Amino acid sequence: MSDTKEDPTTMNRSESDQNGMTTGRSDIDTNVQIDNVTKIYDEGGEDVVAVEDVSIDIRRGEFLVFVGPSGCGKTTTLRTVAGLEEATEGRIVIDGVDVSGLEPRQRGVAMVFQNYALYPHMTVRENISFPLRIRKFPDDEIVSRVEEAAELLEISELLDRKPSDLSGGQQQRVALGRAIVREPSVFLMDEPLSNLDAKLRVQMRTELNDIHKRVGKTTIYVTHDQAEAMTLGDRVAVLNKGKLQQLAPPQELYDQPANKFVAGFIGEPAMNFIPTEIVPSGSGMDARTDVGTIELPEDIVTAVENWGGSHDQLTLGIRPEDLNDAELSEDQGSAGSSMEAFVHLVEPVGSDRFLTLRPDSDSHESMEFTARVDPDSDITQDRMVELTINRKNVHLFDERTGENITV
Amino acid sequence: MSLKENNERISYETRQRVWDVIEGPMIVHLVLGLSVFIVISPLLWELLTSFKTNEAVYNLNFIPADPTLSSYYDVLIARGYWKAMLNSIIISSTTTVIVILLSVPAGYAFSRFRFPFDNLIFIGVLFSRLFPPIGLIVPYYQIMTSLGLLNTLPGVIVAQVYLWLPLMVYIMRNFFISIPQELDESARVDGCTRLQAFKHVVLPLAKPGIAACAILTFLYSWREFLFSLIVTRNLDAQPISVAVYRFVGDVSVSWASLAAACVLALIPTAIVVFTFQRYIVSGLTAGALKQ
Repeated sequence: MSDTKEDPTTMNRSESDQNGMTTGRSDIDTNVQIDNVTKIYDEGGEDVVAVEDVSIDIRRGEFLVFVGPSGCGKTTTLRTVAGLEEATEGRIVIDGVDVSGLEPRQRGVAMVFQNYALYPHMTVRENISFPLRIRKFPDDEIVSRVEEAAELLEISELLDRKPSDLSGGQQQRVALGRAIVREPSVFLMDEPLSNLDAKLRVQMRTELNDIHKRVGKTTIYVTHDQAEAMTLGDRVAVLNKGKLQQLAPPQELYDQPANKFVAGFIGEPAMNFIPTEIVPSGSGMDARTDVGTIELPEDIVTAVENWGGSHDQLTLGIRPEDLNDAELSEDQGSAGSSMEAFVHLVEPVGSDRFLTLRPDSDSHESMEFTARVDPDSDITQDRMVELTINRKNVHLFDERTGENITV
Repeated sequence: MSLKENNERISYETRQRVWDVIEGPMIVHLVLGLSVFIVISPLLWELLTSFKTNEAVYNLNFIPADPTLSSYYDVLIARGYWKAMLNSIIISSTTTVIVILLSVPAGYAFSRFRFPFDNLIFIGVLFSRLFPPIGLIVPYYQIMTSLGLLNTLPGVIVAQVYLWLPLMVYIMRNFFISIPQELDESARVDGCTRLQAFKHVVLPLAKPGIAACAILTFLYSWREFLFSLIVTRNLDAQPISVAVYRFVGDVSVSWASLAAACVLALIPTAIVVFTFQRYIVSGLTAGALKQ
């Protein structure tokens, strides 16, 4: 293949060793290594830190998702891997080769952009074959690869159309086709589904998952949508203000969030944070709050004891789905595992009922929290109700650092 | 409904009817018709005058009683103004080529690259065109004199390039900004060098903008008068825009010949405008709307 001349990532390991470009690591399962990457922009003479000391090793064939709010540095990190941004510090290693100083075309990556970036003056066929034509692949190989990709993405009948004649979903497939056809070492995807409507987004999400399984290549995917992150990622990297908050499989992020930010970001509706004071109770400990006292399970008591900080500097975290209507619970809200709150609003959504709660009718809006209760619950608004708490799933966060002391 | 509310409603409906008439097709067509008449009538007068003899010009008849092409013969052949036409074609075409060759890469650089003092340099490029041209005539004349370029075609061409390049850099920069940067980036990830990405992806998309700049440069340099007047003396280098001025004598004006010369000067520009008007609009509005 002619691109091997320009693409050091396709060189075998001994060749790259001779060039002195290896990382010194022998872990052949690591496909992409983001190594202490920091990116600082100069905006009007002022330094803005977009990414701060992010390190992630991405395994071969893994689907890694970067998720976080706008401006958290996820796209900048992806662009640094692509070579479209130069890291201020740190390096990017792909297939054992330090590619930090290399051009995007030399890194063996393919990228799908948020707005698809299809070349408007070319037909679908020309778009998909562009990376092969520019690398001067033989004509028959171009034809066969384009047809193969088109078949995989079910766009064979669109090959002679221009991008402007395609729907958003079709454009998305063409963009994927252009990435797949090159058979790159790594796929980079920058919010590829965000321009689609909600229904199509869910459909394409499933298809992306399917395509990833069939193609089996390492994929780094950026999104601000936690549902996409949770459903697509083998592991999810949560970023905030340029810093990596947690890197873990989706379920672990949900069950054991490392800090208050991750706990609040992952999960819909977001986790409730309730000010609390930990007080001794018999042989254990209770979390005293405005809405009741919760008896802490043994493992959390141990975590508090090991933590060593002041017991009034903790925040209680409870997910809305860990609160339920006491009348529907088997234990009918036994002492230490229930709370009383005023129902400000009831929102039935079919599968659940969302309750917006306050400690009492006079409480301020800022003290609101949410419960996701059974749809059979007949709770109505503007009255006090008793809710059961799934005590096993409560979390305690250090107020100063935001760290989850229970994991 | 109270009487007051009723009166307010009637007053509102009356106002709406008045606005319906003002915004309606009748007034719009009237205004458009008047505008077209104001623009077209001098051209029509000029065209009809060019078919009269110099004596018949002073008759009050609008339509020439005895149409003749003698003025065209007089201008083109007898007075040798074909040379001025040729000068204009050489000057405008060469200026257009040079301006495009410089403004396209400059516009692309200003739209895509961040480099030290980039904004300052861009403002500097535009700033040179903020002065009225008359203010620069003296230094320009002296430079041309010292370079021995007075009354030469290169002298006029350098002036034209200086005059139109900043505006075209500005238009091209806006046009390139309207082309999403992700396209260049995508091409670079797909395997292109920066130059290949420009050639294969950006340049084909910038064609309408380049066409608009080329047409505008051609038209502007075709009609430019002041600099050409100062740096030329005779038909060796004079473009048609300056040459027609010779018909305005100190004592009298040969109106029929002047009209014929003006019509000849108009023909190429009219052809360019009618053929490429689509590009002119797209070039001038580039960057005005988010695509």
